[in-house]
Amino acid sequence: MATHEEISAGLQSFYEGYQKNSKLKLMNRDWNRVIRIIASDIDSQHTLTLQNGELTVTQGVSDQNPDLVVTSDSETLADLFYGDITPTEPYMNGTLVIQGSEDDIVRLDFISLMIWGE
Amino acid sequence: MKRVVSISLGSSKRDHQVQVELLGEQFEISRLGVNGDFEEAVAKLKQLDGQVDAIGLGGIDVYVYAGDRRYAFKDGLRLMGAVKSTPVVDGSGLKNTLERETVTFLLQNTDIIKKGTRVLMVSAVDRFGMAEAFAAAECDVTFGDLIFTAGIPYPIKTLQELKEMAAKLLPEMTQLPFHMLYPTGEKQESRDEEKAQKFAPYYYDAEIIAGDFHFIKRYLPDKLNGQTIITNTTTAADVEFLRQNGAGRLVTTTPVFEGRSFGTNVIEGVLVVLLGKPSSEITPEDYLDIINKLDFRPKIIELDN
Repeated sequence: MATHEEISAGLQSFYEGYQKNSKLKLMNRDWNRVIRIIASDIDSQHTLTLQNGELTVTQGVSDQNPDLVVTSDSETLADLFYGDITPTEPYMNGTLVIQGSEDDIVRLDFISLMIWGE
Repeated sequence: MKRVVSISLGSSKRDHQVQVELLGEQFEISRLGVNGDFEEAVAKLKQLDGQVDAIGLGGIDVYVYAGDRRYAFKDGLRLMGAVKSTPVVDGSGLKNTLERETVTFLLQNTDIIKKGTRVLMVSAVDRFGMAEAFAAAECDVTFGDLIFTAGIPYPIKTLQELKEMAAKLLPEMTQLPFHMLYPTGEKQESRDEEKAQKFAPYYYDAEIIAGDFHFIKRYLPDKLNGQTIITNTTTAADVEFLRQNGAGRLVTTTPVFEGRSFGTNVIEGVLVVLLGKPSSEITPEDYLDIINKLDFRPKIIELDN
């Protein structure tokens, strides 16, 4: 089990990876989304907000309704945002549950792979 | 009579059967759509295994390529794995030769392709041979893989960038259900209105729109302005659809039988039967040799608007 702080640190790492990738910002300039991250086994929630290609990460729940809700156990979330695992396998085996449109799920997977992919 | 059957994840509305003679051999070629029902496709493949001479997998890619690397779709491998004894192909072997040759033929024999021609390839990793041929012809190519597969308005402009993107994305993306990345079943019958509008400038800016017909059709904007479409798997109704929507010309890469240009998977199945050896042992030279013997050439249809 990971802690809330570890998930926060993982998200910070994800954020830094995003910030370094100017191409990724350009690619996402049309994709304005609010993404809620929920740990299923500990009290931990975060919000990712994408607006005009810029990403912000905040602790807790935003006032805005989320377009995507990402739920998993704390260990998987920490591993995922640190780039130790890719989202595909936990998504396919049901460990990682993403509620949202299929197009948005593919897009989130894409962002993760652009940051951490080969 | 040799039988080649294509099992497609696409709509059953496009089912078709023809009989043709090729190099003195009689063929019955048919296409069966399962309307996106993956389990039905597996069942039909098991049923046909050992009963026909070759099976094609349609509406899905098993293998896609970028440079020297090959990526396999998990769903495609599962379908292929359902067939134990009959040769089974997805068309990727033939695409690498036939579609490359199509571009070369048009470059050498027509004025459709010239240096600097603006080409939109709606997806390139499923037709890397064609992508390389356009690049070699010094066309101004936009590879739309991210645009039309992932909805990301980012045109890839070089083969090098395409290869880099593929290396980052495809090892994982190919593990997703195929329907998340490609229109299957009923989606093949409808247009994605939002994306068609959003991505229309890529279509309008191009002189040639090339690649997978279901992608082309799903995101086709309201009215083209005389573009040439290079594709296959078109029916007589599709030709009329393109005419109505302002396309100027249709070039099909696979031969037309009874008004229908079959998918490369079907034609690859036919060629595997004619070559008479396991598909894993067939080389691009084998395909080129038999394509020449069959005198397969792209078919050019002028669409008067």
